[in-house]
Amino acid sequence: MARAITDIKRLEKSREEVIEENVQEVKEAVADNKDAILEGIELLSALQKEGTLETLSAFVKAKDETLANVVREIDKEQYTPLLNNLPELVFLLGDLNVSGIRSLSSRLNNGLERMEDEGTTKKMNMLDFAKVLKDPEINRSLTMLMSFLKGMGQK
Amino acid sequence: MNEHTVVKINGTEYLADHPDQTLIQLMNKVNEQVPQICYNESLGPIQTCDSCIVQVDGELVRACGTKVKAGMKVQTQLPHVHKAQKEALDRVLEKHELYCTVCDYNNGSCEIHNTMAEFGIEHQERPFQPTSYEKDYSGTFYRYDPDQCILCGRCVEVCQDVQVNETLTIDWERQEPRVIWDNDVPIDQSSCVNCGQCSTVCPCNAMMEVGMEGEAGFLTDTEPGILKSMINLTKKVETGYGPLFAVSDSEAAMREETIKKEKTVCTYCGVGCSFDVWTKDRQILKVEPSAQSPANGISTCIKGKFGWDYVNSEDRLQKPLVRRDDHFVEVEWEEAMQYVVDRMKKILAEKGPDHLAFIASSKATNEESYLMQKLARQVIGTNNVDNCSRYCQAPATKGLFRTVGYGGDSGSIDDLGDSKLVITIGSNTAESHPVLASRIKRSQKLLGHKLFVFDLRKHEMAKRADRFYQPKSGTDLVWLSAVTKYILDQGWEDKNFLDDWVNGFDEYRESLEPFTMEYASDLTGIPQEELKQVAEEVATSETVAICWAMGVTQHMLGSDTSTAISNLLLITGNYGKPGTGAYPLRGHNNVQGCSDFGSMPNFFPGYESTEDDEVRSRYEKAWGTELPKETGMDNHEMIEAIHDGELSMMYVMGEDTGIVDANINYVTAAFEKLDLFIVQDLFLTKTAEYADVVLPASPSLEKDGTFTNTERRIQRLYKSFDPLEGTKPDWEIIQLMAKHFGVDWGYEHPSEIMAEAAGLAPLFAGVTYERLEGYNSLQWPVAEDGTDEPLLFTEGFPFEDKKAKLYPLTYELMYDTNEEYDLHVNNGRLLEHFHEGNMTYRTSGIQRKTPNAFIEVSEELAKERGIEEGAEVKLISESGEATGQVTVTDRVRGKEIFLPLNSNGKSAINFLTDNRVDKDTDTPAYKEIAVKMKVLKKKGKSPIPKNNHRNGNPVPQISVKVQKKWQREDYTFPGRGAH
Repeated sequence: MARAITDIKRLEKSREEVIEENVQEVKEAVADNKDAILEGIELLSALQKEGTLETLSAFVKAKDETLANVVREIDKEQYTPLLNNLPELVFLLGDLNVSGIRSLSSRLNNGLERMEDEGTTKKMNMLDFAKVLKDPEINRSLTMLMSFLKGMGQK
Repeated sequence: MNEHTVVKINGTEYLADHPDQTLIQLMNKVNEQVPQICYNESLGPIQTCDSCIVQVDGELVRACGTKVKAGMKVQTQLPHVHKAQKEALDRVLEKHELYCTVCDYNNGSCEIHNTMAEFGIEHQERPFQPTSYEKDYSGTFYRYDPDQCILCGRCVEVCQDVQVNETLTIDWERQEPRVIWDNDVPIDQSSCVNCGQCSTVCPCNAMMEVGMEGEAGFLTDTEPGILKSMINLTKKVETGYGPLFAVSDSEAAMREETIKKEKTVCTYCGVGCSFDVWTKDRQILKVEPSAQSPANGISTCIKGKFGWDYVNSEDRLQKPLVRRDDHFVEVEWEEAMQYVVDRMKKILAEKGPDHLAFIASSKATNEESYLMQKLARQVIGTNNVDNCSRYCQAPATKGLFRTVGYGGDSGSIDDLGDSKLVITIGSNTAESHPVLASRIKRSQKLLGHKLFVFDLRKHEMAKRADRFYQPKSGTDLVWLSAVTKYILDQGWEDKNFLDDWVNGFDEYRESLEPFTMEYASDLTGIPQEELKQVAEEVATSETVAICWAMGVTQHMLGSDTSTAISNLLLITGNYGKPGTGAYPLRGHNNVQGCSDFGSMPNFFPGYESTEDDEVRSRYEKAWGTELPKETGMDNHEMIEAIHDGELSMMYVMGEDTGIVDANINYVTAAFEKLDLFIVQDLFLTKTAEYADVVLPASPSLEKDGTFTNTERRIQRLYKSFDPLEGTKPDWEIIQLMAKHFGVDWGYEHPSEIMAEAAGLAPLFAGVTYERLEGYNSLQWPVAEDGTDEPLLFTEGFPFEDKKAKLYPLTYELMYDTNEEYDLHVNNGRLLEHFHEGNMTYRTSGIQRKTPNAFIEVSEELAKERGIEEGAEVKLISESGEATGQVTVTDRVRGKEIFLPLNSNGKSAINFLTDNRVDKDTDTPAYKEIAVKMKVLKKKGKSPIPKNNHRNGNPVPQISVKVQKKWQREDYTFPGRGAH
């Protein structure tokens, strides 16, 4: 006689059993993907050394909030021109001669350094100006500036 | 007719397929590009979006609204043509905001996005104009966003003319036109049946499945405020459309990684709809049918489109259960299998193989049916194997075997669409086979084809019918035979067809003598004049197809009535031609295939008798063992055998026998007597509650395999996701069981099972998984070279001389109500629920609209018994009783009551049914129940909620009435000034 029944005694697994099963599953996955996992570990360790990992995990944890803040902020009216400019800027960058700019900017840096070192206290008279024109470094700078002005004026 | 229609497009000459072809069809075929948004091949021209404007012989016209004509000159690229197209597209963008990257519809298939990108639109000339309407979120399954809607009218077209539910229209006359439901009510309050086809055909995100919302994209699941900001943001950053499309296309490509799209075949009724299921892990985002779906095209019903929650139900069993005293304990598979097999072996040793019996499932695949009968025959050594078609369509199969030789639909659903006259008998087609019914409804509405309905109930098809008759229950054989006799008496039969293709005429003609018009009219209650007109229409109609279902088969004369249908078709020559034939509409997704693949007590796969020595030795050779010869027990005999102590074990796969078999009190009493009862299912069903062992199986979405639909069409299903943890597909379980018996079949994939079956059964000789790849399908019989037969009998019938047989019949009325049991109970399906409801009651949206079964009572009977809507009554038959709530309706009349079979509670119809069966097949006579009614409560709350579609008010019209758009003052034809 088998009456209709609905009670079910669930198969309760101990925590140890569950852990054991999970570990086994992970072990198999590790064995199957050894190379990828080792490379992954290298990547993680590099990120950690740089401190990037910490930043990244903080960002991910607060992702929704961060995203909301940023999006709400940027959507404000005052940023509209900036946003409209963004894609334009991207196209602009495409036209620029980046390697040219790189050598130019290193020169600019040199200039700035010298400016810092020697200060602006020293006064110069006309003769001093004529003298420094002979200085090859200054001459090169001025020639460059002149060429730039000329190029910019071209139609 | 013009034989060769040559059209010149941009200077190149093209030959049109036929003079009725539209210009856009031809252009799409020969790859002459033109933008198009409202046009969809499955729907035909709607002419609302104006974007396919071309110049024809000097004039701008819509390519979709223009038929090809010989000598026509077409230009698509002239500057003013291009300008007109752009004007049309700009108007579309005025109604539709492009924020693709954060849109859930950005999946590569958005037709607005793609059209704009292809056309190369860079800037919006007209600013986007939102409407003043709110989104309609009232429905459970899809929602409407008027601000994204471009009024293309595809949803209206599909609702009016494809589904033919006639709920949607566009109100062109208001200031801001929009799509409306019924007479402008929210989605939820309308006559909408949630077939979901509007969201399928919508070219964008205006009409969208709720399951997609906030789920499809990487950035779309944000809260509405932020989403709005993000929409603005995307528009600011992506200044021109070029960059916008580039970013959103990349995002769409990324979605391909997370959203999986697999083809499956619907697991509900026998129509066999196929579609892609979009999933993210185990989450179902949406169901997407396509024009390539062979049975359904773009169509679905509420169950196929939205009824999949059961797959992820928390009630799913995830461990085998074994009975211990008054409860089940969960055990591991190994333990369950060992237990089952040890006990089976013991019964086998003590009582012999015929004490074991097996029931396969019409929900499971062909391969699983094949393995169930293989287990029974090869491993156990018994022919006691059957399936649920015993409960429904075995009589139809019998009737067809007697007359035409194949037990399946004669043609395809296409033939029903083409037939000039469709007759349905005892079939609630619109609710039981919704997508197939829509084909019939469409042909009637648009092409003027005729529909005759014979049914007790005035259901939707009856209301639409050109002729509707309500013959007295169980008398269909009589009017069918009388109509056939009258046709012969008038000399209207198809003499050539009878001479060429039919045997047994004289004997049959003689057997019709008693079936006079007078006799038929007396018994059925249909006036003689009417029957004569029916006869004339049948005889003179160019093509006739007859559909029938449980209203015919579930009677004591089910097989004979099915035979009478086939006889009538033979006499009038309605076999073997397109648009003709016999269509026993199969109730379950695989009720056809389950029998086809051998889970029957007398047949091997492909309907080859177990008693045929040649056949048996073929299987014996393949399976390496001696096989039983004598016919085994069918379902009905199994239950009797248990009561008689002649059956000790039953193994039921995917079948809630304890609810769906007739006279369930008697059936469950049998379960209690079994020594070993194994039930394999997704849930702890009513039947499983009696089991000794319950094995947790996986549903269709979790496995590969094939189903065969009512058209004999074999279609593949592909796994959408892995089986739920702890469950297994049925084929794996059966194989595991065989292995524990020491028989290692070694199948690694269902394709290997099909290969074996095809190698053994000539009916499926050419069936291979390769030939069934994707949306390809085969309609049996399939020859070895892969040729199938969508339309049967074009070259004769499968008998020795290729001739069909007329089969003589007699009639005797065996059932009636009486003084005590004075009411007749009819039963059947509801559109939104399936069978006993184990699957559909687990979809919360369906539950919300239709929470329970109800008892339909006629206005006359309600008045006589003094009851009103919501009354509670008890129905008492000689076998048992059922209680339920009443709805008073004109769908039933007089002393007839209707009770949907979709209930497994105390309203279950099978508490009332008894042991009477069809005399030829043992199919229970579910439709022959007399009851008395006891009123428990006189009135109450209606069992049908207000938001049920039955309370809606459809607004029938043809298409979207685009002329009304053109008549608007603010409308001009693009590029042409005022229209």
